[in-house]
Amino acid sequence: MESKIKEILNKALTLIDDSENVENLEAINQIRVQFLGKNGELTSLLRGMKDIAPELKPIIGKFVNEARDKITSRIEARIAELTAKSIAEKLNSESVDITLSSKRNPKGGLHPCSLVINEILSIFTQMGFQVKQGPEVETDFFNFQTLNIPKDHPAREMQDTFYINDELLLRTHTSPMQARTMISQKPPIRIVTPGKVYRPDDDATHSPMFQQIEGLVIDKGITMCDLKGILETFAKALFNENTKTRLRPSFFPFTEPSVEVDVTCAMCGGKGCRICKGTGWIEILGAGIVNPKVLDNCGIDSNVYSGFAFGLGIERITMIKYGIPDMRILFDNDIRFLKQFN
Amino acid sequence: MLISVDWLKDYVDINCSIEELCAKLVSVGFEVEEVIRQADNCKNCVVGRIEKLEPHPDADKLQVCAINIGSEVIQIVTGATNVKVGDLVPVALDGSDLPCGMHIKKGKLRGVASNGMLCSGEELKVTEDDYKGAGVYGIMILNEDYPLGTDINEVIGTNDIILDIGVTANRPDCNSVFGIAREVATVLNVPLKMPSLKYEVSKCENTASVSVENSNLCPRYMLSMVKNVVIKPSPKYMQKRLKAVGLRPINNIVDITNYVLMEIGQPMHAFDLNNVANGSIIVRNAKDGEQIKLLNGETYTLEKDMLVIADSEKPSVIAGIMGGMFSGINENTKDIIFESAKFVRESIRRTSRKLNVRSDSSTRYERGIDLASQEIGMMRALQLIYETKSGEICSGIKDVCKESLTPKQISCQTSKINQILGIVVPDEEMVRILNSLQIETKIEKSNLICTVPLYRDDIENANDLAEEIIRLYGYDHINCTLMDSGAQTIGGKSIDQQNVDNVKSLLVGEGMNESYSYSFTTPKMFDLLEIEKDSDLRKVVTLLNPLGEDVSIMRTTLMHSMIEIMAKNITRGNKAARFFEFANTYMPKQLPVTEQPIETQKLVLGVYGDCESFYTLKGIIENIIDYFGVKASYTRPKTTYLHPGISANVIVDNKIVAVFGEVRPDISLKYDIKNKIYVAEINFDLLNNLYDNSYEFKAIPKYPTVERDLAVVVEESVTAEQILTIASKYAGKMLSNAYIFDIYRGKGIEKGYKSVGIKFEFTSYEKTMTDEEINNKMNKIIKMLDSEINAKLR
Repeated sequence: MESKIKEILNKALTLIDDSENVENLEAINQIRVQFLGKNGELTSLLRGMKDIAPELKPIIGKFVNEARDKITSRIEARIAELTAKSIAEKLNSESVDITLSSKRNPKGGLHPCSLVINEILSIFTQMGFQVKQGPEVETDFFNFQTLNIPKDHPAREMQDTFYINDELLLRTHTSPMQARTMISQKPPIRIVTPGKVYRPDDDATHSPMFQQIEGLVIDKGITMCDLKGILETFAKALFNENTKTRLRPSFFPFTEPSVEVDVTCAMCGGKGCRICKGTGWIEILGAGIVNPKVLDNCGIDSNVYSGFAFGLGIERITMIKYGIPDMRILFDNDIRFLKQFN
Repeated sequence: MLISVDWLKDYVDINCSIEELCAKLVSVGFEVEEVIRQADNCKNCVVGRIEKLEPHPDADKLQVCAINIGSEVIQIVTGATNVKVGDLVPVALDGSDLPCGMHIKKGKLRGVASNGMLCSGEELKVTEDDYKGAGVYGIMILNEDYPLGTDINEVIGTNDIILDIGVTANRPDCNSVFGIAREVATVLNVPLKMPSLKYEVSKCENTASVSVENSNLCPRYMLSMVKNVVIKPSPKYMQKRLKAVGLRPINNIVDITNYVLMEIGQPMHAFDLNNVANGSIIVRNAKDGEQIKLLNGETYTLEKDMLVIADSEKPSVIAGIMGGMFSGINENTKDIIFESAKFVRESIRRTSRKLNVRSDSSTRYERGIDLASQEIGMMRALQLIYETKSGEICSGIKDVCKESLTPKQISCQTSKINQILGIVVPDEEMVRILNSLQIETKIEKSNLICTVPLYRDDIENANDLAEEIIRLYGYDHINCTLMDSGAQTIGGKSIDQQNVDNVKSLLVGEGMNESYSYSFTTPKMFDLLEIEKDSDLRKVVTLLNPLGEDVSIMRTTLMHSMIEIMAKNITRGNKAARFFEFANTYMPKQLPVTEQPIETQKLVLGVYGDCESFYTLKGIIENIIDYFGVKASYTRPKTTYLHPGISANVIVDNKIVAVFGEVRPDISLKYDIKNKIYVAEINFDLLNNLYDNSYEFKAIPKYPTVERDLAVVVEESVTAEQILTIASKYAGKMLSNAYIFDIYRGKGIEKGYKSVGIKFEFTSYEKTMTDEEINNKMNKIIKMLDSEINAKLR
């Protein structure tokens, strides 16, 4: 009996060791059935125990159990071995061309001007500025008169205008929103107003429709130093930390004093290059202390409140930022151009 | 404004380089747009004397000359026949550039070395008017003595430097040589020299009379008389300077008026006394319909708000704008009267625009003239008459002035100035700066008391003074502060603005690119799109002064622009593209337009390419609708330019929020498009109003979802919506989802019919559903589909 058990055990162990991974361990499971199944060789042996002398039963039983344990653990071990082997083979043999293009639906993109607008608005909204938008077809009153540009004033020459009739026009700047906000909202005011504006010019650096962002702060004790501080903070955020700001005297009817704001050229860092025409500086916006006459026009007490305003051209900054030589390409909408900003 | 540095030097000593001068002008607010060095046109060309002339050994028509250019004697071969030994001539040396564009290098002519070229007047671009003898055929022989080697620019008067200075609209006083000189004197801290105004009068008397009928439009009018004028060319220096700033010399009288205009900034007008009836000048409004023929040869019909200078019989000049054909100076003029007047700029601007007539004078008046310039201008003109011996100056200048000539006084606390600037400028520095600008300033208990000269009528308040102080004190003194005294505010975008940003992101995720097109478009678009004649879309806001007809109306729909964008891309061979654009449309409230139109924010989509279909756009629109948290249904639109079978209206809350579909092929063809293109226009304002971003938590069901599929055969005309509506109606509240997963046509299905596969998902929050329950529901659905739309189980 004992030798019979040994024989079966050896046969089983040999079969296990020789087994290979065929069809998901089918072979090895067959072996398990062959020896340990309901009608398996070892199981059958156990069933024959009833014919054995009682005193031998415990000994034989122990042998059989030991043999079963050995077979079971050898099967487990072999399964682990074979699984590891097959995974190793897979890892060795399977490979994809990782440079082959994917099956994705490629994303589109925003217009470069929108990228610049988003960036600028994000900087100012973080500084507590609210974004306001207003009508593009404006009244002469808001576009000019409240901003200290009376009819037939020479300052109107600064901005050629598309007219609809004597009183209506396409706004020439986003500044009317200054007046609209001051009339409808009490200080403190901190707003930025992006939008389309219109002037009858059409060449490489002018488009009859373009976009501006106007900024306005009205509060107590606002000074020229605040104007410079805020705009320098803005310029550093938009270009880089080393950007410096310079103010030059200028004239806008709705600000007094008025300045042009130059920043050090982001391309050359102020050394002078083609972009800044060798000067090291780039003019990016016009600004100034809000003219007390404008405050008075809008019902804000100029003895109590002061403020500053600024306006910048989006297309110009977009051209500087991305090195675009001709403004007209921004409105050309060629998909090959637009996709460069995806 | 072109300013001659040579001229400027009459009034101020420039003690620095031109570069420094320009930098200083920029720092005080005068942008120098260009520096034109006349001499740059003609380089390395000098005065030489012909010492020897010999025939060329190998060429009959050439001569070899030895020319003394001061430093040396050089050999030049010339073809000229009009030169002789001893002549002074312009010599272009090796490496010279000439105004005619030639570049001269040394070389050999028929084997003989030639180290330059003798120049003709034409090569130097000098005419007989510029230099006597320059017009001859051949070499220009100099008729005066010059040191040998003198730069030829000195000889022909092209050695000036011209500055193109941008003068801002608040500084009309700087539109003149003298005005700029005042600023230069201040920034360079050198004395300002006054123009010479001295002359002697003859025995005659100014017999002309002036009557100003409308002093509102003409606050000051001065008149003087000069008798027995000698009409002749003006002096060389005057001609040279006028030419340098782009004016053509005519004769002494006209040139003097132009010279004063440029130098003092005061427009002058000279009348032939003979043409002024009774010698009486009347400044009056024109009569409606009154006509005048101007110097430009055109006849104009005037209106009663226009100002004219007339005699007792007829208008002879449109005030400040242009003289009449017959009132001006000619070679027979004997006696003249000079006008030096102030006309208000608004009136000049209005009249000049209405008549579409402009002149140097009107341009100058439009910028604004102060009340002091009339007198200086008049005296300067008479001084120039005197200096050039152009006539006998009569005593007595008529001066009609209705306004006060007393300079205004303003006062302001120095602390107010510092408050505006945010820095502390020392009191004495403020006083020094203002005085240097001829704003006479005293200080009393920190109060600035300023007497503002008449020519600075732009200075009215503390802010104006602050600007004057800081532009000279220097903007580099301004520090950076961050509104320390200001209140905290919350920045950001409104929900509507955020919706735009979010939908843009969504569209970018859909592979779309953002376009930007003009808000103005062509009125032809309506016919192109075959929009109905009575459609509201045809009621448009029209520009009075468009850049062209194709950009003359404000668009009422974005569809045309989007189709154009796609057409352009297709023409350029771009195979596929997806575009979107946010822009406003402009709908007049009434016609003619009397108030601001209704501006509506629209979103337009456009796609084309092999992979695109009606469903591309539908998918994108559904995502947008989902973003807004609303439910949409679809109806067939009656949109003229869309394919009637492949287009839809999107209805939300009973409103059409969008229309989309394939552009009708015959319409596309009008845009030269042969491809299928798809467009959508979405009323974003409407969606913004419907935006619902509320969410409500619902427990996740504990019991499993049961799925059932159903295939029914229906007629082609039956829509998915019809099937699903019936299904949902009879499925009960346990139906959590139903959708069409397959449509089959072909083998086994009769023509005109389709097999529709519908998936049902049943979910209960309360219990595990039994097969029987579900089967009952499905049977009910099958029965109702059959009875309502004749759907047969497949």
